[in-house]
Amino acid sequence: MLGRIRGSAIYIAALSLLHCLAWAAEDLQAQRSYAVELPVGFPKPRIPADNPLSIEKIALGRFLFYDVRLSGNLSQSCASCHQQARAFTDGRPRAVGSTGEIHPRSAMSLTNVAYATALGWANPLLDSLERQALVPMFNERPVELGLSGKEEELVDRLRADLRYQRMFAEAFRGQSDPFTLGNIVKAIASFERTLISGNSAYDRYVQGLDDNALSEEAFFGGRLFFSERLECFHCHGGFNFTASVTHEGNPFDETSFQNNGLYNIDGRGAYPPDNTGLFEITRIPSDMGRFKAPTLRNLSYTAPYMHDGSIATLEEVIDHYAAGGRRIHSGPYAGDGSKNPYKSNFIRGFVITEEEKQQVLAFLQSLDDPEFVTNPRLSDPFQLWGCVSDCNYDFVVTVDELVRAVNIALGESSLAVCLSADPSGDGDPTIEEILQGIHALLAGC
Amino acid sequence: MEPWMRTLVLFLAVAVSGPGAYVAQATDTSGRFDRYGQCAGDRNGDGQVTVDELVAGVNNILEGCGHVPVAIRFAGRVGQEPFQCGTTYSGVGRNGGEFVPSDFRFYVSNVRLLTSDDREVAVLLDQDGVWQLEDVALLDFENKTSPCVNGTVQTNETVRGRVAPGAYNGIRFVLGVPFRRNHGDASVAPPPLSLTSMFWSWQAGYKFLRVDTALDAYHIHLGSTGCYFAQPGVVGGCARPNRAEVILRPFSVEDDVIVADLAALLADSDLNENKEGTPPGCMSDPGDDDCNVLLRNLGVDFASGQPVAGLQKFFRVEPHH
Repeated sequence: MLGRIRGSAIYIAALSLLHCLAWAAEDLQAQRSYAVELPVGFPKPRIPADNPLSIEKIALGRFLFYDVRLSGNLSQSCASCHQQARAFTDGRPRAVGSTGEIHPRSAMSLTNVAYATALGWANPLLDSLERQALVPMFNERPVELGLSGKEEELVDRLRADLRYQRMFAEAFRGQSDPFTLGNIVKAIASFERTLISGNSAYDRYVQGLDDNALSEEAFFGGRLFFSERLECFHCHGGFNFTASVTHEGNPFDETSFQNNGLYNIDGRGAYPPDNTGLFEITRIPSDMGRFKAPTLRNLSYTAPYMHDGSIATLEEVIDHYAAGGRRIHSGPYAGDGSKNPYKSNFIRGFVITEEEKQQVLAFLQSLDDPEFVTNPRLSDPFQLWGCVSDCNYDFVVTVDELVRAVNIALGESSLAVCLSADPSGDGDPTIEEILQGIHALLAGC
Repeated sequence: MEPWMRTLVLFLAVAVSGPGAYVAQATDTSGRFDRYGQCAGDRNGDGQVTVDELVAGVNNILEGCGHVPVAIRFAGRVGQEPFQCGTTYSGVGRNGGEFVPSDFRFYVSNVRLLTSDDREVAVLLDQDGVWQLEDVALLDFENKTSPCVNGTVQTNETVRGRVAPGAYNGIRFVLGVPFRRNHGDASVAPPPLSLTSMFWSWQAGYKFLRVDTALDAYHIHLGSTGCYFAQPGVVGGCARPNRAEVILRPFSVEDDVIVADLAALLADSDLNENKEGTPPGCMSDPGDDDCNVLLRNLGVDFASGQPVAGLQKFFRVEPHH
């Protein structure tokens, strides 16, 4: 790495100075031990013992998450269906895979996915993000990323990338060949565990940070939400507004799958054959149409709603629950969902005034976290945010950040401490890149 | 060890185990994830050391591991014709459709040779780091030529191992990955369990048998369904294991080949028909009636997912030329 930084004596002198500063400023040990920054009141997510978090794995996973080389035909990445601006959904009723195949279900939001006990809409067997990642990568029914049978090609593609050569080695130190499928899913899972959203108006209110964060309308909407009249909170309770959560120190994995009366095709509870919910896995008749009650955080960004995207707006969602189910009058899925024999006991229907409906809507919108959907740390790392060497994306380059870049160039720090130091993507801050950083430091970002 | 000691050990073994203790097979509800050979003397990797295994160990001491190499030949066929990627086979299925295969692979496990007095003697598979792991072997007839694009260039038509010398006239094996190996972490599994085209992550397991076609996209993906966790992250069992127990007799290791015939497998299916709302072919979905006849021809009762003796038509024995 030093080879590239050979330049004029001035540069060498400057770099030497910075290098000295580097030793003074950096605590390498502190870099390596990492804990997710959590909002007040959030428990610690449970991290698998064989995949502890590190900034190196998180950074690598972020690149992999946004990398189209993770699809068979180079057309899609995880982020194609899990777009940050939409709280990691895709805005479609049903997701579309890399080969154009339409998935039966809607892309789920990855908001606070670190706490989920079961991934996906209705599969109790997908209990870890590592295990789950294999489904979109290798599934063939339907094809999602379309990598089945292409594991060697995938590894070869990544291995050929200079930045990945550095990042895999730094994320999985001591491994003779870190380019493995196991490491790929570990890194992606690590990045996904940083998708923490807890800075909504609701959060600022309940954390006591801002007594005025909630509008009066939203406040009364919250009362309705938590009332026995509307019953919303039974399935959408707790800090993450879903019953399917666990966290460190909690010995229980609660997973709740509920039939909410969307369909009743044959009058005996049938759901469309490609979307039978938990029944698809268990084949237990009463599991027909049971899906996970997802988190209600960031709903404004995740329309349309339900497992198959069959309800377009939040107003209609409230109408659906007020009616106690959905009646479809014609077509192949005709039937009265409100009379589905497997419907949750909590979905009994309720009377709600227009004013109350607006209050509930305001409350749901108070769970939106605009910072989450714009946080540069969760954004596409292939795009340079701000300027070179702006490690923390605050549009200011400090001496400390420049020191980091130099340390990366010298091999003293991992690339993960400042991804912005290497916009060219060769895994090494070059002299030109360092100079760009110095320029940004002096002239502003 | 003196011969009298061997007699003593064998006497003790029979006294403790009694007759019929030769089948030491992991069942689908055992829920064990022990690593093969983790426990000294645990030859079949089921996490227990049985008297049979001890006796085998004692025999090895006395006879210097007197096992002989054995190579069990398989052949992929469509009727009488050899299997080949992309070949158009006609007259396949109930109504005689055209069949252009694009994949043909399956796992076998717990391979045993049968003596004339119905004793089952385990074949200890060579741990070759490619096709065989513990007691599991992958048979692979596709060679990645078009349209077998999801496959591998390498093929494998032989199960290799060692077996105690003896007079054998039959063979028994399981079509499928044993429970103990079916639900581990696929992302780090060694070969042949590392092939992503055989992953069945949605069902937390592997495809035991994979057959695909280029025309009409008819798929046969056999695997366990209805699996459930006994404790977080640990599959406790599967409602429908869908593992076939194959018994072929007479069979001579030296002179015969085991033919896996896709035409026989598909004999009762209609390649141009598909139950509405299900994937074309059979992906082991219990709601897919197309699976009924296919699983019967594999020797599995579709409703229960349990093997049924004498049903299977997929495998047959032919003389090796």
